Amino acid sequence: MPRTIKLHPFTILAIAVAVITMTTAASLWWLSCAVMALCLLIAGWAGHLKKLAVLSGAMLLPTFLSLLLIHGLISRDQSPAIAQWGPLRVTIHGLEVALSLGLRTAVLVVVGLLCGLLIDKHQLVAAIDLSPVPPQLGYLLAATLFLLPQMAEKQRQIGEAQTLRHMGTGTGLAGWFQRMRLRAVPLVLASMQDAQDRAVHLSARGFPATGSRTRLRTVPDSSVQRGIRWAALVCAVLGPMLILALAGFGSR
Amino acid sequence: MRRKLTHQSTAVLGLNLRSFAYLDGADATLRNMHLDVHPGSLTVISGHSGSGKSTLGAILAGLLPRHGMDQLVGTVKVDGTEIEFSPSSAPRVDVAQWAKHVGLLPQDAGHYLSGIRGTVAEELAFSLENAGVPREQMHRQVTQLAQRLRLEHLLERNPQQLSGGQERLVALAALAISEPEVLVLDEPLAGLDRQATELVSEMINMLRANGTALVVLADSMQRWAHEADELWELDRGTLQRVSSEKQQRQPESGATQRQPIPADSRVLLNVDSVQLAYPGSTEPVVQDLNLQVRSGECLGLAGANGSGKTTLLKAIAGLLEPSAGTLVTFGQTGMLLQNSSDQLFERTVFREVSFGIPKKSAARKRISEVLAQLGLESFAQTHPYELPASARRLVALATVMIHEPQILLLDEPTEALDEAGESKLRETIAAVLERGGAVILSTHDERFMERVAHRVHLMK
Repeated sequence: MPRTIKLHPFTILAIAVAVITMTTAASLWWLSCAVMALCLLIAGWAGHLKKLAVLSGAMLLPTFLSLLLIHGLISRDQSPAIAQWGPLRVTIHGLEVALSLGLRTAVLVVVGLLCGLLIDKHQLVAAIDLSPVPPQLGYLLAATLFLLPQMAEKQRQIGEAQTLRHMGTGTGLAGWFQRMRLRAVPLVLASMQDAQDRAVHLSARGFPATGSRTRLRTVPDSSVQRGIRWAALVCAVLGPMLILALAGFGSR
Repeated sequence: MRRKLTHQSTAVLGLNLRSFAYLDGADATLRNMHLDVHPGSLTVISGHSGSGKSTLGAILAGLLPRHGMDQLVGTVKVDGTEIEFSPSSAPRVDVAQWAKHVGLLPQDAGHYLSGIRGTVAEELAFSLENAGVPREQMHRQVTQLAQRLRLEHLLERNPQQLSGGQERLVALAALAISEPEVLVLDEPLAGLDRQATELVSEMINMLRANGTALVVLADSMQRWAHEADELWELDRGTLQRVSSEKQQRQPESGATQRQPIPADSRVLLNVDSVQLAYPGSTEPVVQDLNLQVRSGECLGLAGANGSGKTTLLKAIAGLLEPSAGTLVTFGQTGMLLQNSSDQLFERTVFREVSFGIPKKSAARKRISEVLAQLGLESFAQTHPYELPASARRLVALATVMIHEPQILLLDEPTEALDEAGESKLRETIAAVLERGGAVILSTHDERFMERVAHRVHLMK
């Protein structure tokens, strides 16, 4: 059973932004690795370790491979090659660049995914609703988060109906493309119809609110958390500037 | 133009309609009708599919006419205020304000729910949240309403995971939280099993007992006739009061016309110790099922929601592999899904029925014939989404029948069908049985089941 973190969603997001910006600016391999290890520990504690590992792997593996291809194998830098196959040459510098960029991307991906796993989506929508942003923003996010699974279900139903009519049953890559082509139009039409059907009733229920709005759901917050958020935002903005300034000063 | 009415009028909602036409509609959809709705009354408006019931419901609920698009000529009285619509003056209606007096439960109750709230309690409070009602007051109102309508057990449930009946209960409660004087219910009992029908009927009675006036829009008035205060029939765009004589004549049109199963009929379906489960699910939906269906036989599947009727039909159609046991079909299967909209993809009825059929095949030549058999020939060039619900259901049936299935599988086939559509469905079933095929159908419509099925298998 996954555990939940009882922090305000904005607190988690603010800390995540600060960590990503400062780690990217620092560009230290050990710091990036430490941040990712910490993320895995938190994910393990919260019961999301497997999910985080699988999702991160699926996103980072192609990223690392493409970086290795660009900087590690076909790099034009003049440093000595440690291996060479015709036009392909592997250099120490190329590998260093690929690893450095890959680790920075990895921090962004792992921290971002961890946020997605730790934050309760309904709490996030409620937090946005209770903030002074326009109500449409909360609905847009909520619709993206909650209606997408419904669209996936609709797509499955359309697929079933087409299979019953002996269409979209091909195999392999060509079959996959055929299925996508056949399902796309009915899915878009059905989703538009659904949105139209819902819209009139949302209006009847007073959405979007013209005056002040409230939420039945509570999003626990505290002055300590508010302080953490401010500190994290300051770090997210000033931290990278300070790190870059120090790095520039040190190189002179 | 608006004016405050005198206290002489006791109606909480009044409609005096001379005509209503949709944007780009050649003719008026509704004309010459007068309707008054009194507190705590039950008004039933029946009419076949496409007669304009949903349009009338939307007008009563203030959702039509769309400002600057549709044209309404007449007056509507709500909350003591008379609003006059004419070609020269079409006031813009504040639907949120209107909904405080008249609420509409759509045919698909899921459309009323926001789809973005995590619990039923939040869904009930959605309109209060948008009105800026303080949290404590909202909490109190939701709790009281849930107690009054006996919904406490659902309050913490995820609205996305409710059954069809529960969804309708929650939508009704969400409507009732604003305490409107009138509730317009579009087919509130369609497609519900017996237990869900009882629960929804009970809630409707409770709302009425609390003084809410109800306007029920239904294909048939039979279910409501004995408790209704007023019965109307919507025919050719106008309302006609149903006399008690006509009401008496309503029940049962047509008798059971089942042909006996031939003695030498062959087996078309053999289900032996079958277990069915959805991919990724550990719990089987159907366990140890044994079944045999012969040519010329119509088998009915009965059982509560979630008992595995649809799952079994999908397995017979080849959409689902049994996780244990054997399921063998002899002959082609064809399945009508519960939701017709999922089965329609093309921009005209003709293209829809010809979807996936090679141009030079024999089936292509049968399209007009199949459309004629189902009474759809005049809709051949119409977009399926523009058809009344009953005709749309028949189009979905036509897409199945064009393949001449040996085993016809029907999932809740009478849902959305009006009387004429149901008659076409019965003819189709009879034709399949006559040519040596078999029909397996799942339905909560016991009357229909009794009329067409040779035997009923109860799913548990």
